[in-house]
Amino acid sequence: MTVVVTPSDAPAAGAPADAPRRVRQRRTPTDLVFRGVIRFGGIVVLLIMLLVGIFLTLRAVPALRTMGWRFLTAQEWDPVGGNFGVAGVLIGTLLIAAVAIVIAVPLATGTALYIAEYAPRRIAPMLVNLVDLMAAVPSVVYGIWGLYLLQPHLLVVGEQGEGLPRWLATYLGWFPLFRVDGYDPRDPLGSNSALTSSTFIAGIIVAMMVTPIISSVMREVFSQAPVGEREGAFALGATRWGMIRSVVLPFGRGGMIGGTMLGLGRALGETIGVYLVISFVFVIQPHILQSGGGSISSLIALRYAESNPIGIAGLMAAGLVLFGMTLLVNFGAGLIINRSRSGAASDA
Amino acid sequence: MLTPRIRRRRPTTSRLARLAAAAAVVAMVLSVSPPAQASGRLVPIVGIGSTWSANAISTWARNVQAQNIQVEYEAAGSTQGRVQFREGKAHFGVSEIPYGMRDIFNGTDSKGSRQSAYMPIVAGGTAFMYNLKIGGRRVTNLRLSGDVLAKIFTGVIRKWNDPAIRADNPGLTLPSRSIVPVVRQDGSGTTAQFTLWMSKQHPQVWDAYCAKFNKPAPCGITSIFPRRAGDGTVGANGSDGVSGYVRQENAEGAITYVEYSYAINAKFPVVKVLNAGGYYVEPTADNVAVALTRARINTNKSSDDYLTQILDDVYGSADPRTYPLSSYSYMIIPTKLEYNLTTDAGFTLSQFSYYFLCEGQRQAEVLGYSPLPINLVKAGMEQVQKIPGHGTVDIAAKLRTCNNPTVSPDGGNALAKNAPQPSPCDRRGNTQSSAGTAGARQDTPVLPAARCTGTGAPAGGGNTGGGNTGGGSTGGGNTGGNTGGGATGGGTPSGGATGGTGTPGATPTAGAPGLPGVPDGGTAPQVDPDTGEVVAAGGAGVAGGEQVAAVPVALDGEGGWRLRHTTMLLAALLLVVLIVGPPLVSQALANRRRDDHRGDR
Repeated sequence: MTVVVTPSDAPAAGAPADAPRRVRQRRTPTDLVFRGVIRFGGIVVLLIMLLVGIFLTLRAVPALRTMGWRFLTAQEWDPVGGNFGVAGVLIGTLLIAAVAIVIAVPLATGTALYIAEYAPRRIAPMLVNLVDLMAAVPSVVYGIWGLYLLQPHLLVVGEQGEGLPRWLATYLGWFPLFRVDGYDPRDPLGSNSALTSSTFIAGIIVAMMVTPIISSVMREVFSQAPVGEREGAFALGATRWGMIRSVVLPFGRGGMIGGTMLGLGRALGETIGVYLVISFVFVIQPHILQSGGGSISSLIALRYAESNPIGIAGLMAAGLVLFGMTLLVNFGAGLIINRSRSGAASDA
Repeated sequence: MLTPRIRRRRPTTSRLARLAAAAAVVAMVLSVSPPAQASGRLVPIVGIGSTWSANAISTWARNVQAQNIQVEYEAAGSTQGRVQFREGKAHFGVSEIPYGMRDIFNGTDSKGSRQSAYMPIVAGGTAFMYNLKIGGRRVTNLRLSGDVLAKIFTGVIRKWNDPAIRADNPGLTLPSRSIVPVVRQDGSGTTAQFTLWMSKQHPQVWDAYCAKFNKPAPCGITSIFPRRAGDGTVGANGSDGVSGYVRQENAEGAITYVEYSYAINAKFPVVKVLNAGGYYVEPTADNVAVALTRARINTNKSSDDYLTQILDDVYGSADPRTYPLSSYSYMIIPTKLEYNLTTDAGFTLSQFSYYFLCEGQRQAEVLGYSPLPINLVKAGMEQVQKIPGHGTVDIAAKLRTCNNPTVSPDGGNALAKNAPQPSPCDRRGNTQSSAGTAGARQDTPVLPAARCTGTGAPAGGGNTGGGNTGGGSTGGGNTGGNTGGGATGGGTPSGGATGGTGTPGATPTAGAPGLPGVPDGGTAPQVDPDTGEVVAAGGAGVAGGEQVAAVPVALDGEGGWRLRHTTMLLAALLLVVLIVGPPLVSQALANRRRDDHRGDR
C-alpha cells in the first residue's frame, strides 16, 4: 500500500511552533477500493455472525420462555411434556471434545514435528498432502468408520469386548471418569454393550477429524522457527531433540495453542460422527467409557425432524447455547494466542 | 430445439408465424392434458422416508435404472419422510404411519398444506432380531410371547434366563446374560408400529413404562422410543443402525425391532412371536399375508386417510399362521403441482410406481417383505392417477400381466390361502422346533425333553419347512407334549425316522425342573452333578446326526484384590526399578565422586 504523505502548508505565524503538524493522507483510488472491499468483507462476517445469533435467539424464544434458566440445568428432553434442557448434552459435548483433544494434540504434535523436522526431504511433501487429505475426508465417513470398524473390531472386540475401554474400565475403574456402572469385567456373561456407543468412542472419532487441522497449523509454525537460533542450538552441541525442545517448541507455542483451539472449536461442533455412534442420554453422564452420551450438535441432527414448534424452538435454544460456547472458546483462544505470540518465548 | 425442425419443414413461413407455431408446440408440451399426453420426460426424482421399507425401495430403484428411471431414495426414517415431504423437499415420502397420529411424546404432526395421498407399497413384518448364544453356539429358534416382548423392551424382564422366557422356550437352557434392548433413537415408523402394537395388545406394560416419563395412562403410539439412562437400552439411528448394532460380535444379548429383511441381510435370526392362535410364527411373506387379510383398510375415497390401515384385528387374529406385527408401508404421493413438482417428475414417479406395484411385488418375498394383495395393487394404481403428469396405463390389462403372487383364479389372496400351516412343534407347549429363522437357517439343538418328533416329517427335529405339508392337523408328538405338563420324555426317536408317535413321557418330577423322567426309548439323560441341569443326553437318545445342546453353567466369579494382583504389581515395580534404578544410581555416584574431587582440590 502506498501512502503519499504531504506536509501541510507551513504553519502560519503566531501559531504555537511545536504543535504537531497535521498529516493528511491522500490515498490512491486503488487503495480506496481495496480498503472498501476489505472493510466490507470484515463487516459482512460480523454481520452474519450477528444475524445467526439473532436468528437463533428469536427462534429459541418460545423454548426459553417455557424453561427459563432451567434450560441450562434440566437433564431431560421432553418438549411436549414441557421439561427439556441441555445440561446433559452440554457436559457431553465438552467431554467428547476433551477426549478428542487429549488424543488429537499429542498425535498432531508428533505428526507435525516429524514432518517439519525429521522426515526426509523427499517424502515430506507427500506426508503433508496425506495429512491434508485426512482433513478432506467427510465426517460421515469417519462416523461410519467408527461405527463399523473402530467400535466392533478395534475397541470392543468379540464376545468379551476386549480392547482399550475394557482395560481402562478394569484397571482404572476406581477413577470416577473411567467407571462403568453395571459392568463387571470378570463376568463372562456380562453385557459388553455397556462399553459401546460411549463418549470415549465418539471422542476418538472426533479426534481423527481434528488431528489434521491441528497438525497443519502446528507444522506451519514449527517450520517457521528461525534458522539462526536452530543453528545456534546445534552449534552449542544440542541434539536434534534438544534443538526442538529449546528452539522449535518455545517458538511454536502460540501456534500449538492456536491449532489446539481451532481443533477444539471443530470438536465442539462435530455432528454426524457423534450422531452415528453415540447412544443418546440426556442426563449428565460423567463416565466416558459407559454407553450413552450426547452432544448438542448431534442432538439437533437427531431431533430436527420433530414436527412440534416447541421442539424446534428447544433445538434452536440448544444451538444458541452451542453458538455462545463456541464464541467463548474462540475468544479465549484469541486472547491466549495474542498473549503468547509465536516466537515471543524464543526471543527472550 | 423445436424451431429448427419447423424451419426445415416450412422454409417460406414468415418469422412471426414460425414463432407462433413454436409457442404453440411449447404450450402443448407444457399443458397438462393427461389422456392425450401419455408420455412425459423422465427426470431424476428424490424420495425420503422409512428405513423399514428401504430395502425394497432401493432394490426397485436399482431395477428401474435400466428403464432410465432415476430414483434417489434416502432412508432417513418415517418421521423425516413425512416432514421433508410436507416441506416440499422430496417428490415422494415413505412412512409407516399417516400424518396426524397422536403422539404424546413428540406431538401430533400435521399434514401441512401440501396436497397428498397415501399409496401402499409393500407389506412386511416388524421382526425382533437378536444376538444370543448358548455355550458359544448361536441360538436361531428363540420364541417369545407378546407379553414377554413388551416387558423386554420396557425393562421389566432383564435377563435371558427369566422364567417367562424359559416358559416360551422349553427346549433351550438360556444363559443368565442380561438383555440389551436396542431401540431407534430417531423418529421411526418401525417404532411407531411396535409401540402401536404394545399400546393395543399390552397396554398395562406400555402405560407403566410411559408413567416413568410422566405421561398419562393411555400412552399410545410414538415415533421416538422413550429412553432413560440406566435402563440398559441402547439407542441407534435407522434400521441399519439397530441391526448393525445387534450383529456386532460384542453385542451378545442384544435384541431389536426391525423389518424382517434386515435380519435376512445380516444373516441373523428373528424371534418367533406367539400369535392368538397359540403358535409361534416367523414373519415370512406367507405369514404376513395371512395376517394382513384381517387388516381393515380405509376405503372411503373422499377421506384424507384413504387406504390407510387399522391393524387391531391383525394383532388378535386367531389364524395359527398369523404374524401379529404385520403391516403395510405407505408412499405419500403428491397430488398437485406445487412445491417445485413438475409434470415430468410426476410422470417419472408414476412410472416408478407402476413398476413396483406390479413387477416389484414379485421380488417382495425374496427381499424379506410380503407382496401387496391384488386389491391394494389396484387401489394403488388408481392412486397413481392422482399424481400430476402421471402416465396413463390400462390398469386392468396391467394387472393381468403383473404376475402378482397373491393372484388366484377365484379372486382370493393366493398367498394367504396357500400359506403353509405352522409346524406343530411351534405350538405353545412343551416342545420346541429346532429350525432356524430369517437369515440364520441352521438348526439350534433343543433339549431332549422338548425335542419335537410329531411333525410327520423326516427326522431332524421338526423342521418347519418339512412340517408345513402336514396339513395343519396337530401331530402326535404335539399332543403328547401338551398332555405331559412339565418336562415330558421326548419321544422315541431311536432311529431318527420313526416320528409321528410322541410318547407321553413318564410323569414329570415336579419341583425339580432339571430332572426329567426317563424317556421310554432313550437312555436316561445325564445330569450335571453341579448344576442339576440336563447335559445333552448321550447315547441312543441322540440319533440321526442330531446336534447336542450345550448347557451354560454359571459359576461365581472371583472378586476383589487377590494374591495374583499383588504379585503383578510387585513385578511391575521391580521392572521399573530395574530399568530406572541403575542409571540413577550411577549418576548419583558420579556426582558424589565429582564433589569429592572438588573437595580434594
